[in-house]
Amino acid sequence: MENVAREIKDLYTPVIATISLVEQLTLSEKRFWIKLPRNQKLNHHPGQFVEVSIFGFGEAPISISSSPTRAPGFELTVRRTGRLTEKMHQLGVGSQIGIRGPFGNGFDVQRFKGKDMLFIAGGIGLAPLKSLIEYTLDKRHDFNRLIILYGAKNPSEILYPQEINEWTYRDDVEMHITVDRPDAQWKGNVGVITTLIPPLELDLENTIATVVGPPVMYKFVLMALKAKRLPDVNIYMSLERRMKCGVGKCGHCQINDSYVCQEGPVYPYTRIKELKEAI
Amino acid sequence: MNRQAKDISEMKCCFFDQNTTKQFIEFLMSKAKVIAPHRKGEKSFSFQETHNPEEVVLNYNRTIQPIKKFFMPPRETLLEFELNGKPKVKKPEIKIEERIFLGIHSYDMKAIRLLDFSFDRDKPEANYFLRRQKSVFIGIAYEPDEYHFAQDLGIDVYDTTGFSLFMVPAEKGFLIFEVDETGHRYLQEFGKGLPLDAELQYERPEPTKKLKMHYNRLPQIFSHVYDSPVWKKVAERCLGCGTCNLVCSTCYCFDVFDEVNLNIKEGTRERTWDSCMLNPFAQVAGGENFRPTLDSRTRHRLYRKFKYLTDYSGELHCIGCGRCSYFCPAKISLVEIINELIEDYNRQQQHAAVTVS
Ligand SMILES: Cc1cc2nc3c(=O)[nH]c(=O)nc-3n(C[C@H](O)[C@H](O)[C@H](O)COP(=O)(O)OP(=O)(O)OC[C@H]3O[C@@H](n4cnc5c(N)ncnc54)[C@H](O)[C@@H]3O)c2cc1C
Ligand code: SF4
Ligand code: SF4
Ligand code: FES
Repeated sequence: MENVAREIKDLYTPVIATISLVEQLTLSEKRFWIKLPRNQKLNHHPGQFVEVSIFGFGEAPISISSSPTRAPGFELTVRRTGRLTEKMHQLGVGSQIGIRGPFGNGFDVQRFKGKDMLFIAGGIGLAPLKSLIEYTLDKRHDFNRLIILYGAKNPSEILYPQEINEWTYRDDVEMHITVDRPDAQWKGNVGVITTLIPPLELDLENTIATVVGPPVMYKFVLMALKAKRLPDVNIYMSLERRMKCGVGKCGHCQINDSYVCQEGPVYPYTRIKELKEAI
Repeated sequence: MNRQAKDISEMKCCFFDQNTTKQFIEFLMSKAKVIAPHRKGEKSFSFQETHNPEEVVLNYNRTIQPIKKFFMPPRETLLEFELNGKPKVKKPEIKIEERIFLGIHSYDMKAIRLLDFSFDRDKPEANYFLRRQKSVFIGIAYEPDEYHFAQDLGIDVYDTTGFSLFMVPAEKGFLIFEVDETGHRYLQEFGKGLPLDAELQYERPEPTKKLKMHYNRLPQIFSHVYDSPVWKKVAERCLGCGTCNLVCSTCYCFDVFDEVNLNIKEGTRERTWDSCMLNPFAQVAGGENFRPTLDSRTRHRLYRKFKYLTDYSGELHCIGCGRCSYFCPAKISLVEIINELIEDYNRQQQHAAVTVS
């Protein structure tokens, strides 16, 4: 124990990064492009998150919503819900924030190679999934079908209209959107996200489903996937929990014996079945 | 670090009378900062820095706060930052000091070894290990009271693992056992004390037998009582105050928040001890609370002691100090909860046997 402690890397000091672009996405969501000092790469995997520091306001875990293939900068999509996120929404280009991470496991993209990918996102759950979607698009030959299901509360809350437009018009992507409450102009699907699942024709053995959304969504999506007879081992979910440290110490993120910031936030469904507090 | 020390009957030993003991404490104080049990109020004790050997109380049942407070303070500044213009961030330096912890019970020592595991796991934490590294521990035998159940968890009163010296109260003084090289050096340098060569007779206290099952089997019990009615029963009495976490020797969960000075030019990021028994512990923005009830939180607290971490470390993470029960305002006894869980498990087993036959 004598000298080891001196060599242990400090876990809690963020690096200072710069906001290089801000885009208002919806009434309550903005996206921020972030640059690390000396244009360093974050070296993340799709599905990982960072701890964002707004000094004086604290830290919050935020998913990295861009793919590592689009480094060196990265993108954060932030919903305004409380003290820190309110403050972040007031920041403009050139503002400096703290970043720790990347944290968590992310998606195991190696295991997804050659598969049909079924992305199922509800609300802001599209942020972490966008990282994986972009990754599969940038390495399009490594994957087979790409099917995106996205559910938003209403048309004005659709997160990335530009990207979604692009995905819709690509003929190597199958894009399906639904809204809970349509407005006058809406011509697309209406209903909760689970209504998009039954009509799909899937090659069950070769389809990987990745699911991210609000807590209530998981059970219903799971029921719909099971009704389709998608094998449990092909289902992955990313879970949200309260987090304070991101490094497996503060205890806030625990689901039974699992620290979400270490073992998660992405879990294979086979593991989620063992975790009674998970969904 | 988990090396089991040999039995004290095989160790070199000498005798200190009361006066020599005081001189020895003075000697230790000349070597390093000495932390020892002191009185706190009428009935309580606390580990504090020793300024006067007379104030050290070696005959005590338990301190309120466990030793963890010296390695993970109840409140600590993780960062200092300036808000003027571009943010500037500084990590406050952690003073590395030599400290001698004197008069430590074997279970409290075990708790430190368990915390070593927890802070090392996944990503080792410098803050803890910087404070932890230059510590010497001098143990002492104690008389278990009605709240102690360390022996039931396999932690002997005379377990010297982790100590450099070990003291056993004797008539008019103490027997001092040399446990490791550091302890040997201290005694050599101190040079006083009466060497004892004769075969020693010391009495081991009767095992307490407070738990209705051998501790080896507790993780197995916990594989069967997740949905036990016991959790709700305990929750009916629990106030959700979080005291049991704060006084626990092996709890280490924490909260982090920023504070800004009145001049709004500087601020700090603070961490404080936190409690999984408190309602908002697992609550996120938007109001979702993943452990919204007292029974789910009580279950989580106990599973962290007897199952979750145990599955990784192979050790129980409760050391039977009895602090949680002794200081619980609702008089909730951990031993009683475990025994009720054991009964529930036994009932399940009988039921299963009946259904099979
Ligand atoms: C792995 C992960 C990824 C996330 N990704 C995103 C994302 O891409 N975009 C986004 O907008 N939000 C994301 N969140 C949620 C985001 O962290 C919370 O909305 C944010 O912490 C709220 O902070 P606040 O100070 O604005 O809110 P307040 O309600 O004022 O929060 C008070 C405190 O509660 C804690 N807290 C509240 N909610 C959460 C939460 N969900 N997770 C952790 N701590 C919380 C924080 O410590 C905060 O200091 C993610 C959460 C997790 C766990
Ligand atoms: S100390 Fe007692 S009353 Fe308070 S939370 Fe713990 S068990 Fe409940
Ligand atoms: S759970 Fe109670 S008895 Fe066990 S170590 Fe913690 S405070 Fe001590
Ligand atoms: S966020 Fe602190 S342990 Fe996971």
